[in-house]
Amino acid sequence: MTNLIINNKKYQFELQGHETLLEVLRDHLGLTGTKTACDEAECGACTVIMDGKAILACITLATEAEGKTVTTIEGLANGDELHPIQQSFLDNAAVQCGFCMPGMIMASKALLDENPAPSEPEIARALEGNICRCAGYPKIMDAVKDAVKRLNAGNGQRVKTPDTE
Amino acid sequence: MTTSNKKFLDPVGKSVPRIDGKGMVTGQAKYVYDMKLPNMLVGKMLRSPHAHAKIINIDTSKAEKLPGVKAIITAKDTHKIKFGSNEFFFPHTIDQMALESEKVRYIGDEIGAVAAVDEKTAEQALKLIDVEYEILPAVFDPVEAMKPGAPQIHTAMSNLGVILPTNFGNVERGLKESDYIREDTFYCPSAAHTCLETHVCLGQWEEFSDKITLWVSTQAPFKIREALAKTLKMNLNNIRVIKLSVGGGFGGKLEMLPMDFAACLLSKKAGGMPVKICYSREEEFSYSRRKHNMIYKLKSGVKKDGTLMAITGEVIADGGAYCSYGPTVMAAAMMRIFMVYQIKNFRISGFRVYTNNPISGAIRGFGGVQSGFAVESHMDLLARGIGLDPVEFRLKNITTPNMTTTNKMIISSNGLKECIGKSTKSAEWTKKYNNPDYGKKGILRRGIGIGIAADVMGSKMYKSHESAGGIIKIEEDGSVYFFTGAADTGQGANTALSQIAAQALGVSFDRIRCKAADTEITPFDTGSFASRVTFISGNAALLTGKDAKRQILEVVAEEHKINIDDLDIIREEVVNTKENLVLMNFDKALELCYSFDYGRQIIGRGTYNPTTTPIDFRTGEGNVSGSYGFEAQIAEVEVNTETGEVKVIKIWDAHDVGKAINPKSVESQIEGSLAMGLGYTFSENLQFKNGRIVNPNFTNYRVPRISAIPPMESIFIETNDPHGPFGAKGMGEAALLPTAAAIANAIHDAIGIRLKDLPFTPNKIIKALKEQEGQL
Repeated sequence: MTNLIINNKKYQFELQGHETLLEVLRDHLGLTGTKTACDEAECGACTVIMDGKAILACITLATEAEGKTVTTIEGLANGDELHPIQQSFLDNAAVQCGFCMPGMIMASKALLDENPAPSEPEIARALEGNICRCAGYPKIMDAVKDAVKRLNAGNGQRVKTPDTE
Repeated sequence: MTTSNKKFLDPVGKSVPRIDGKGMVTGQAKYVYDMKLPNMLVGKMLRSPHAHAKIINIDTSKAEKLPGVKAIITAKDTHKIKFGSNEFFFPHTIDQMALESEKVRYIGDEIGAVAAVDEKTAEQALKLIDVEYEILPAVFDPVEAMKPGAPQIHTAMSNLGVILPTNFGNVERGLKESDYIREDTFYCPSAAHTCLETHVCLGQWEEFSDKITLWVSTQAPFKIREALAKTLKMNLNNIRVIKLSVGGGFGGKLEMLPMDFAACLLSKKAGGMPVKICYSREEEFSYSRRKHNMIYKLKSGVKKDGTLMAITGEVIADGGAYCSYGPTVMAAAMMRIFMVYQIKNFRISGFRVYTNNPISGAIRGFGGVQSGFAVESHMDLLARGIGLDPVEFRLKNITTPNMTTTNKMIISSNGLKECIGKSTKSAEWTKKYNNPDYGKKGILRRGIGIGIAADVMGSKMYKSHESAGGIIKIEEDGSVYFFTGAADTGQGANTALSQIAAQALGVSFDRIRCKAADTEITPFDTGSFASRVTFISGNAALLTGKDAKRQILEVVAEEHKINIDDLDIIREEVVNTKENLVLMNFDKALELCYSFDYGRQIIGRGTYNPTTTPIDFRTGEGNVSGSYGFEAQIAEVEVNTETGEVKVIKIWDAHDVGKAINPKSVESQIEGSLAMGLGYTFSENLQFKNGRIVNPNFTNYRVPRISAIPPMESIFIETNDPHGPFGAKGMGEAALLPTAAAIANAIHDAIGIRLKDLPFTPNKIIKALKEQEGQL
């Protein structure tokens, strides 16, 4: 039995051992927000947060997540209220086809949890593994910078996912 | 209760958030890639491992016995009807079978398909199918394929599948009257769309109705329905094609692929179990569609004063094994030259040649990217040849508002001159260009370059018309449902069209619920291509909104005994415009429509078909688009003369968008185009060896990452086009067209070296610098 904590919920799985975290999320749990566009760690669309770090779910075995906390895009919003990063991506028109968005937002979240005031090069470094083919990145950069402002203006209201608390 | 929070009154011209954006940032948006149905099977395509071979026999008996295999199809199960993309103009180029039975023409050619309970079983089944081939000599180089005696790829026609002679005026006289003539040859590699969502479809046959539903990641659901109906020999109304959120298209999802056909037929053979086929990234690179690699040989003459006298030459494009959208790609590559330059004497022969390479097809720009690189580089060289500033040279030769081009395109609004003016001013062109004191010393050399381009907004391709339609139904609680056939593939069509519909109806944007791209429910639309959606589908949305509004006002006019011409709906209020008096709000008006006395449903409709003429493919003549869009782009670069690396300092893009319906969305289109243009300039190069793609992954096929993006400045020129909805034009493609040339021209300015072979890798620049030193 493998015990996983995903978006603050506990799950128990009977796994064969070869299943990736991505397969478990998408196929077993129906959490299809996490995507992949390559299945070989090149595109970043499968980025989720595991114990505070951005990881690629397509090359992470589900058993590696045993005892760790995993946050996916589905775990960000608080009911109907979007996480400030999600709201910022929406308001800054950073979204085109949306396919890279879950990975892009989770990579941004991992960065901002660790570094609340990143510089542009630091943002670029954190998102270098995430391909966006539609929007060409400037609006994504705007969105992350705007998210920094929103999060820091929140006076301690900063929303944290369970794995970073 | 109201169904509007009046948050986005007068939405046109405002950057309202995407109508589907919340789903996308929360991971709730559904793509076909995410779909799962009960009893769903996994489908896989059986492909040729050979570039050119006769099929002698296909034996599926072993695979059929494999437990878990539910259906296997080969050409025997099909009607053997060919499909293609240019039915209307080029019926002879309809050249592909959904499943080939006699011959395979490229590595990956589809000859069968299997459906099984899981991926592993499906893959195992493919391995158990014995196919006997007789290998034929293959040809991979388009120039070789044109020669007599080359292996013939199709029997119905020679390897010269598409020949486009574009011919106007008297080129010989034009050259004779020129003071300066030069010839250049440019090489444009193949490239891939790399949509993040690969090609994916899910087909389900319904036994009791003999009906097929296909959910597919597509830019053109109605086009796919047509191709399915033809190849499956079914009526259109027995096929339903549904588009969900689409993870990018860029021209690659504009036609039916054999996988779409296979998913439907496999489901039928499996007794109605749904079949999903999803391409891996490697399959996407290798077996979908790709950019035509092209050779441009150009020869042109100018007068000393800069007047362009003649352009002539030859374009050779590697079409690969089948035609796809090849003819339109070739035509579009030529047509764009006339939209930009006033040129009377013009003769370019275009050859789209069959080879045993993977299939070339449509990709953002439709040949315009290759043409943009070649022509805009060539024009720069002509200007330099007579010692004229490239900006002045362009201003002297560009098209103007309200003119008819040599090939009979009718240009109404045209902001090209302003685009050049504003972009050069913002980039400080006069200070930087050809200035020996501006970054021309030391290891790092600065340079600046310009490229200009134009775009259509629509083009008749696979049908004789290119209409779009809209329906609006308004319920008694004031909910507005807007139905459009247009296919949003991420560009934001649903949002922009809803903005237009809301504005036309006089309501807040947030009232609109948009239902799009379902062939059984929404009106017809040819698809998302040729930058047509905002213009054509947008005009349909405009008419639809107006029609619904008129119906509401009819009721109000009757009730209040006011002339309907004196009524309007403005910002959610019904207004007597004659007396400047607010009569009621929108909700009250709808209550009235659905009241005891009236009981009248509001169902607005609109249809729009631009008055265009199809292009005459024998001459290149035709007013193919209802309007034309323009742009100028400036690139400033810094070349490291030791490493050969080029850093783009900044790109300025001034774009005649007519009217920006959603400014941030327009900016995002420009930025996305520029990123794609930068990729094609510096790194993207789909390479094949003996017909096999050798870099089918993101490690070896390098698309731009976030750190590769320079500062970009988008400048909107709003010319308020008389034909566009609220003056808007299409603009999804043009920003990509001149990027490579603007950068090539800037590199020339920086280091005096002319690059004619994309992509510009550091190695090529170092080699050129060494050659330059040797010459000195």
